[in-house]
Amino acid sequence: MNEIIISILRSGTPLIYVTLAGVIAQRAGVWNLGLEGLMIIGACATILGIMLTKSVGAAILIAILACVLASVLLWFVIDRLKANPIIAGLGLTGLGIGGTALAVQSIFGSQATVTAPFGIPKLGPAFGSYGVLSVAVAAMPFVVFAMWVVLRRTRFGLRLAACGEHPFAARSVGANPSRMRLAALAIGGVLCAIGGAELAAGSLQFFAQGMTAGRGFMAFAAVIFGAAHPVGATFAALFFAIVGALGIRAQLTFGDRIPHDLLQALPYLATVFGVWLSGKLRGGAKAASSFAELRDQ
Amino acid sequence: MKDSLFTVVRSLIFVVLALILCALVFQLAGYNAPVTLWAVLDGAFLRSGAIEQSLRWALPLFITAVGVGISFRAGFFNIGAQGQFYVGAISAAFAAEAVKGGPAFLVIPTLLLAGMLGGALWALWPGLLRLRSGTDEVITTLMGNFMAGLLLVYVTSGPLKDPSGSGQQASSRPLDPAYRISDSLGLSPTIIMIAVVVGILMWLLVNRTAFGVLASLAGRNGTMVEWQGARLWKLGLSSFLVSGALAGLAGTIEFMGPNGRIASGFLPAHGFTAILIALVANLSVLGTAVAAVFFGGLASAALYLPIMAGLPSAAIDIINAAIALFITAKSTFIDRVMRLGGPKT
Repeated sequence: MNEIIISILRSGTPLIYVTLAGVIAQRAGVWNLGLEGLMIIGACATILGIMLTKSVGAAILIAILACVLASVLLWFVIDRLKANPIIAGLGLTGLGIGGTALAVQSIFGSQATVTAPFGIPKLGPAFGSYGVLSVAVAAMPFVVFAMWVVLRRTRFGLRLAACGEHPFAARSVGANPSRMRLAALAIGGVLCAIGGAELAAGSLQFFAQGMTAGRGFMAFAAVIFGAAHPVGATFAALFFAIVGALGIRAQLTFGDRIPHDLLQALPYLATVFGVWLSGKLRGGAKAASSFAELRDQ
Repeated sequence: MKDSLFTVVRSLIFVVLALILCALVFQLAGYNAPVTLWAVLDGAFLRSGAIEQSLRWALPLFITAVGVGISFRAGFFNIGAQGQFYVGAISAAFAAEAVKGGPAFLVIPTLLLAGMLGGALWALWPGLLRLRSGTDEVITTLMGNFMAGLLLVYVTSGPLKDPSGSGQQASSRPLDPAYRISDSLGLSPTIIMIAVVVGILMWLLVNRTAFGVLASLAGRNGTMVEWQGARLWKLGLSSFLVSGALAGLAGTIEFMGPNGRIASGFLPAHGFTAILIALVANLSVLGTAVAAVFFGGLASAALYLPIMAGLPSAAIDIINAAIALFITAKSTFIDRVMRLGGPKT
């Protein structure tokens, strides 16, 4: 039992950090499909940073810097240049996946896996069998709680939501939607950096090309499934991690008799169902992206 | 006409900007940017046989991109081309098992139809959800992509598995050579003919039918079109089905042509590239053909970059991504510059 919980926490924690990044962007009215790219930038920068500085703290700072820069680029393109957030977000994802592959190739001259000498500190034997988990796992519940407080109980969070829901109304009470989006994306960049760091240096200690393998998109699905509520989205991400862990378990136990690939599709199916249901309950979902704007260039 | 020319020029400006950005990235990464870009150009269009290779990639991309353009025109942000492409290929592969042994002149059209049907089905449910319940099509089609990807993993390692296959990538049993529509190089009269027919039909659909005009209007202002008596959900659903069918057709062509089988995770960037092509072309059918050749060239250059410039093929992904980042941008600066000689609005 402990083993399963450990594997769920291991795979769930990076997902939850990135999901929170998606939540804050979503509340500011930005559909962040760049999460996948930000996460892999965070993972790559952490491993390269550890090798360069021999310090995990400095490496995570480098990762945060890289992810915040990439987030600001996304903000610039969608806010200043009025690009379509969905296409631009997918572009950022491609830039992250391709850029990290290129960086590894240009630094090491090969596309092989890059291994760091050590990773994020572990909890240690005081926590029994859970001691193998990294400190980022233990910090996760507190970060979720902090996000909930910030988004639901502070002036900043409520203004952020107002900017996302109705920018015009928010502007009329003195909020600046553009600056709020910048803040949301920058905070999201920090969270993605931590998520990527935990993925690459939490229980593992290496970076491989394309190692996020769709986790950023899964985080986006969790944001939608959890209705952009920090706690709801966290549980959605946890649910996805549970399905993933059970799928691997089922494969180990039953072999090929269980089509575990189809089981892995369950989170995506659940997201579709969740979005459909929330639309039903609210009486028609809001339009995703003002796509008509794109047509009338 | 002049206006549409301007939108093409401004698309080109953004493509060039994206290329410059990429050149900077390559330079920073320690590669010689001019040499790299030259290698891309050489690999795409100049090298002997490069044009054929570029067309091999361009034709399926064109077919998918035209479909993407149809649903974008109607105002539906169907980003599920990748999933529809996969499901189309999967359906054709299953159909191939079912009608094995039949005469080629019957089997080939059957497989093509099966692929189109599969792609259309994979676009049907997001379309229905969108038009009946208002469920956002960006989410449903994106989730559909992942589900289709997993479905592909399942069928290639399960029902359609090639028992003799080894290695890391699971793949289906190969298609009987009698039913292949091209060799592994992937350019054949059949494929060219299919692409030309699709191009002509879609051009007529968009520019010469009530459907095309109404769909374009619905994309701009759905409520108004509905007030004027058009059935929005019928229009919308048709555009979903057409785009799905075309992506499915492209998947089938890849299966029956160059690949000859389906493999888990094959051509993972096809749908995204097709969306880019549709956007660069500003959704026009003719523009899509031109843009498809450009992006087809990039796709074929990706195979030569590691050899010619020592650069990983990820460089092409970076170029595509940079174009994606900027292609929908509406820079007031560029608009102002272009308005100098253009029509006053």
